[in-house]
Parts: sequence; C-alpha cells; structure tokens
Amino acid sequence: MTALATVRDLTVTYRRDGSEVAALKSISLDIAAGERLAIIGESGSGKSTLALAIAGLLPASASIGGRIDWFLPSSQSAGAKAPPSVLPDISPSRGEIGSSTVGSSPTASVVGESRDKGTISPLEGEMSGRTEGGLVEREVRKSPFKQSYIPLPGRDIGFVFQDPSASLDPVMTIGKQIAEVARTHLGLTWLQAYAKARHLLERVRLPDPDSALQAFPHQLSGGQKQRVAIAAAIAAGPKLLIADEATSALDTIVQAEIVALIRRLVAEDGMTLLFISHDIALAAELAERIAVFRHGRLVELGTTAQIINAPSQAYTRALLDAHIGLDAKPLLNRAELQT
Amino acid sequence: MSLLTVSNLTKRYRRDKKAIAAIDDVSFHIDPGETLALAGPSGSGKSTIARLVLRLIEPDAGRIDFEGNDFLALSGAALRARRARLQMVFQDPLAAFNPRATVARVLDDPLRIHGIASRSERPRRVAELLERVGLTADLATRAIHEISGGQRQRVAIARAIATKPSLIVLDEAVSALDVSVRGQILDLLLDLQRQERIAYLFISHDLGVIRAIAHRVVLLDAGQVAESGDARTVIDAPQSAIGKALVAAVPRLNRIIRQDPT
Amino acid sequence: MSPLRRFLRAPEAVAGAILLAALIAMALSASLLFPGDPQAIAGPALLPPFQDWSLPLGTDRLGRNVLAELFHGARTSLAVGLAAAAAALVVGAVIGTLAGFAGGLVDEVLMRITDAFQTVPSFLLALAFVSVVGPSLGVVVIAIALGTWTGPSRVARAEVLSIRERDYVAGARVIGMHPMAIAFREVLPNALPPVLAMSSVIVAAAILTEAALSFLGLGDPNRVTWGGMISEGRTVLRTAPFLSIVPGIALVLTVLGVYLAGEGIVETTAVRRGLS
Repeated sequence: MTALATVRDLTVTYRRDGSEVAALKSISLDIAAGERLAIIGESGSGKSTLALAIAGLLPASASIGGRIDWFLPSSQSAGAKAPPSVLPDISPSRGEIGSSTVGSSPTASVVGESRDKGTISPLEGEMSGRTEGGLVEREVRKSPFKQSYIPLPGRDIGFVFQDPSASLDPVMTIGKQIAEVARTHLGLTWLQAYAKARHLLERVRLPDPDSALQAFPHQLSGGQKQRVAIAAAIAAGPKLLIADEATSALDTIVQAEIVALIRRLVAEDGMTLLFISHDIALAAELAERIAVFRHGRLVELGTTAQIINAPSQAYTRALLDAHIGLDAKPLLNRAELQT
Repeated sequence: MSLLTVSNLTKRYRRDKKAIAAIDDVSFHIDPGETLALAGPSGSGKSTIARLVLRLIEPDAGRIDFEGNDFLALSGAALRARRARLQMVFQDPLAAFNPRATVARVLDDPLRIHGIASRSERPRRVAELLERVGLTADLATRAIHEISGGQRQRVAIARAIATKPSLIVLDEAVSALDVSVRGQILDLLLDLQRQERIAYLFISHDLGVIRAIAHRVVLLDAGQVAESGDARTVIDAPQSAIGKALVAAVPRLNRIIRQDPT
Repeated sequence: MSPLRRFLRAPEAVAGAILLAALIAMALSASLLFPGDPQAIAGPALLPPFQDWSLPLGTDRLGRNVLAELFHGARTSLAVGLAAAAAALVVGAVIGTLAGFAGGLVDEVLMRITDAFQTVPSFLLALAFVSVVGPSLGVVVIAIALGTWTGPSRVARAEVLSIRERDYVAGARVIGMHPMAIAFREVLPNALPPVLAMSSVIVAAAILTEAALSFLGLGDPNRVTWGGMISEGRTVLRTAPFLSIVPGIALVLTVLGVYLAGEGIVETTAVRRGLS
C-alpha cells in the first residue's frame, strides 16, 4: 500500500471563551494513494475537524499538534514552492520511505502549532520520527516548527462541503467559479479555463453545460449545486478529494446520484477519496476502508467488510445495530392498532 | 371514523407570475392511534402538507376534517383552542424553540395557554412531563441552548404531549439526530403511541425508519400522491416510478457484505 | 470572558463610561451641591471664571452662578436625552414589530406613516411641534421622539420579517399562543438587539436636538439648559466668551461619552452573540 499521506499523533484543540475543547486526540492513520477511505462518526466525533486538518483549512483559533506527512508524486511536488534548503532536512527519511513509494518522491509537511514559515531548524527534519518506518509513536510536538511542503487546498486537495449554497459565491457565475480554480492553479488563460469549466460541467453530468456556465447558483437545484461544487473541487486535478457530509443535505435519490458521480470521478482521475459521513451504510457503499471516530478518537479502522461484518469494537457494533435499513426488524407491533 | 381526513388539498405558489402547484389534489386519512408516513423526494410537498394540516399556511382548495369537525372553518380563539389536540415536533429542535427560553418556560406555555393546570400546579406538571419523556425534573431550570440535541428533542415531544393531543405531526423529527439517539427517540414515540393512543403524521425521507415504525405510507411526487398503502408492503415492493427510485436509492448495509466479500 | 471584562478592555469604552458617569454624578448631585434656584442671582454680573472661588466658573449677564447652571443643565440634558430616546425606541420597536408581524394592510399603513415622518426633517418637526404646543419638558421630549422613532421602527420591522418565518414562531402558533403574545413575547425580544444598538446614536442626537431647541428659545423656560446657556452667552460673546464655551464643552463631552459608552456596550454584546 502506497501512502498518500500519513497522519501521526494529530491533536486539534479549539479555544473558545477561555476554555479548551479537544476535537481530535492523538489520531494516527494512513491514507493510501488511490483508496476510498470513509471517516464516520456521530456529532462531536471530530470527523469534520480531521477533514479540515488534512486540507489545511482549520481556523486560526485551533491549536494543532502532531504531524501530517505527504507523499505526493514528483510531478505534483515539482510545482510546490518548497525552498530547496529544506529538502536535505528530510533526506534521512527518504531511504525508508523511498522503497515503498515507487515513482514518487516524498515530501514531508508538518503541521505545527504555529505556522511559522520563517524558522528552519535542521534538527526538526531529522527528528521527523519516521525513521522506524513511520509507525513509531512519538511525542506530540508543541513547539512552533516549519513545514517544507504543505499541499495547497484547491490544487492538491479538492474539498466538497455539506452545503453547496454556502460554498458557492451567490453573485458569481458557475462558469467563472470553476474557471477561476483552473486559472489560479493550472496557469490557464481565461479562455482555456472556461473551456475546462465547460468540460468539467459535462463530466459532472450537469444538463446543458453551455447555459450553466452563465447561470448563478440560485438558479440551480441543491443536487445541481453540489455537482458544480464537485466540478470546482476537481478543476485543478487534485490528488485527494475530500467530501465532508457532501450528500447529507440532499434527498435520498439525489444523494445516490452524487455518490455515484463521486465514485466515477475518483475512478476516472485516479484520485484518493476521503469521504466524511455520519451514515455508516452510505460509507459502506462507497468506501474500501472505514475509520470509525468517536469523541475525537479513532475507535476502529479496517476494510469495509471487516467493519461491517466483524467489528472489533463495541461502539462500531452499536452504530451498526442502530442503523435502520430496509430490512430492519419493525419496531411497531401491528396488533396494537386494533386494541 | 378517521381522526384526520384530508380531501383534495391544493396549494399553489406564485413564482415569476406563474402559479405552481406545490400540493395538487392530495387526499389521505389517519385513524386514531395510527402512524401515517409521508415520504418523497425534496420538493414533493411533504413539509407543505404538514404546514397545511397545522393551519400554519392556508390551502387554495380542499378540505381538512379533524376529530369530526371542519378544521379549515375554525379561526381565532376557536382555532387556538383546537390546536391543543393537534401538535407538531420539528426537525431542528434548536430552531424550534425561542433562543431565550428555558425548558420550564417551553413546557409551561401550553399548560398556561390551554388552562390545563393552575399557576401553582404547573411546576409539578412540568416535572411530570419531563419524566414522561425520560428526562429528570432538574432539567427544567436549564436554558434550551445548554442541553444536548437528544434532550432537546425529548423536550419538544414533552411540549407536544402537554395538551394531550390526538395527533402529532413529526416533520423529519428524527432526521437531524445521531443514530444512537434516534433509536431512543423512536422508542419513546412508539411508547407514547401505545399508552396514549396518539396518531402520528410522520414526515421523513428515510424509508428504513418509515418501514420500521409506520402503519401506512403515502409516497408523494411533485405535489401529488404517487402511491399509498401498508408501509411494509409499499416499501418492500413499490409500484410507482418514484417509489422504485426512492427504494433503490436507500444505502444498503448488508448488500455490501454479500457483493463485496473482500 | 465576561462581557464586563471585555468592555473594560476597550479604552474608548472606558473613557465613554467615565464621561457618562461624571455627567450622571453632576445631574444627581446638582441639588445637593447647589441647593435652591440655579437661576437666582449669586453675585456680580459677568464675573470671569477662576476669580472668586465661591463662583469658580464665574457668573453670567444676570449674575447667576455658571457652575450651578452647568450642573442643573446636566440634569435637563440627561433627562431629555434618555426620555426622548427611550420613547423613540419603544414606539419604534412596537410599531415595527406590529408592521412586520401582522403584514398585509397593517404593515402597509404603518410603513406609509413611517415614511411620512421620515420625509420631514426631524429637527423641523420638533421645532414646529414645540412652537405649536408650547415649550415644556414633556413637550420637548415628545417633539424629539417624533423625529427619531422611524429609524428603530424600520430596523425592528426588518428583523421581525426574518424572525417570523422561524420554526419557533410556528411552534408558538401550534401550541395556540395568541398572535399578540407571539409578537411581543416570542418575536420582539429577539428582534431587539439591533434596535438597541442604535440607542447610543439616538441618545446623543436627542441631547443635541434638545440643546438646539433651547438655543432657539424653545426649551422649557423654567429649567436651565446648556442650549439656553449658549444662547444667552451669544449676546456677550466678545466680552465673555466663556459663557458659551463652558456649556459647549460640556455638551461635546456628554455626546462623546454617550456615544463611546453605547458603542462599547454594543461591541461587547455583539461579540458575545457571535460566539454563542
């Protein structure tokens, strides 16, 4: 399994009104390149915080410990604006990782408590903690330190939010919103970017893409808006697509269509998918692996079949038992109505 | 005799000077102590029907009979008095309460408005209601925004049963809850139905839940009734196009095990 | 962090609060420090300030104690400013709530009345009203409120229009609450914060309007007002400029204090609402 990213001891704390709330507590997991990984959990489980942390979109009020290392293909990292002086710093780990990442050069990025880009300490790179194959638990680093390469949201990571009405600009045409992503990250001219946007609208199966380019978000239905949001998310050809409850606000039929669309796009572009959901059945339909979260901790991680058929944790079993599917035992006793 | 009979209900909305039928000639009935589910894709008119039945909006045509009376003929004080028998629980329990309210005030209001208990008696009745829905009486002094989502929905149910209604409209009442909490709330609703013989108009997009708790189901499509009948019969073998599409779209947990045994 | 502590962290809010506290202290202590009629003659006419320490700010054209007048004037300014602003806020909030909540014809009629009041310059309206009814403290308060209630009314209506579509208003209807109870118990309290946010500007404007009316001789003749003092000083502006300058400075500091303290309160409560 080739890792796209490894999360180690990730701890996220929100500060609110003087008190601290831990949203994620020492999370370690690997995201394999090309896999469909579902993160499931109930409210307050930290699943959305994990999505935001991986995408580098956490608010400034969050304090972050631990690290996220990225192994993006060299073609991708070539465009990264990593200072050359930093590369030797991560060389000690190259040997170990290189054997498992064929055709990709590892670039490590570290998420620190403060995102201070100025201080470069060679020691930090050497103490990366991955010398034992990246599986060794290490102390959560609280000191401000530097990152050599952080994947750029929008270019390396596509993000689809729950509410497409909130994530699309209401006063900008659909075409411009998508073209802007392509122009910013791919260096296209507006004309090329619009052609790309039109092609993307076709790929997300929006009816009549030509007129949709000129449409505003409020002219589309919820499902269509989510298709546009997905088109914008994949416009720059990201390696990782994160869908955070992307179908929760939609009705069941549209949800099934959007899930099918995400599955197709991920397969066609060879993207890695991180699918955040509260719905274990939906996650099971789409994902190859499922990570179960609760109260900011990773309860269980396994293949979909393992999690669904043979969960090792009581909480996972409880979640499965609480699911009410079409084959669930009726809760209603029919005889009562007559009494 | 049916508890609620809805006949040829029609509601139109004006949009760009064109009248669009949100609800088009919809008829159904609910018997005492029965759960009737309304299901359909978004825009099919489920919530509009809930609001019409509760007289929160007025229909353009049709008839609603509730407890043997023409419900649409009521107005003013007579309508407000009759509302005691027809209650509602909303999807988002946080939005359904005044943001400044405490639990006690939320439960005190219906008791006061309908003269169910005297001022001195009301705190005891509030405590009883809280216990009835599985909460402790000391929760009464808390503000609505301080308690958890599951507790809030229990308070909403306590408020709905305070006036001893014969019908409660549940508009996606369990959709926003975590699955572990959802099961408990469904159990509570079924328990109340069993003991008080309350009928439910259960509006939901979740066919799994509908199949598990509803007696009958009405499937809506674009404001019209597409199919109706026994909940399990309809959902297990839908006849209408929308019924088939809705059932096909439900994520299945077990199918994965059989199809993808890796 | 408590709103009080957040308030105390903003220096401009603290400065405003100190100015306002000083003004209130002046108004409250006026009859203790300067018992009797402030308009009685206390010494020789046109005594400049800092000459006689029993009359620290000197005397005016008729030999009245300027400091005593200033203290008693603070009373009038504060009373009129607060009363007029309170009247404008209450009337505006109630009319705005009724218009927004009732909708239809009621809304149409109430908003056209609001338009009518808004198209007349508020100072001219106050001027005309006092001229016709005659100058007294109550009339001045009503005159000022007449020109200022339209702002709070429009803000309240806009807020109510959004609140009345919320689920909890539907919930109140479902439990059979009377429409008036819904409007004033459920809707109005939640519509108030943006209306109250206007209060500092309204109080400050009311104090200035009162001063302007008094300056034009339309204040209550039985009371000392800063506007009246400035007006009286005008006739001897060349020989005794302090008679206009002293109440003028008091007026500026008062308006500044009210505004800064009011903004400070709005700011701290806004932060709290944003976080919750």
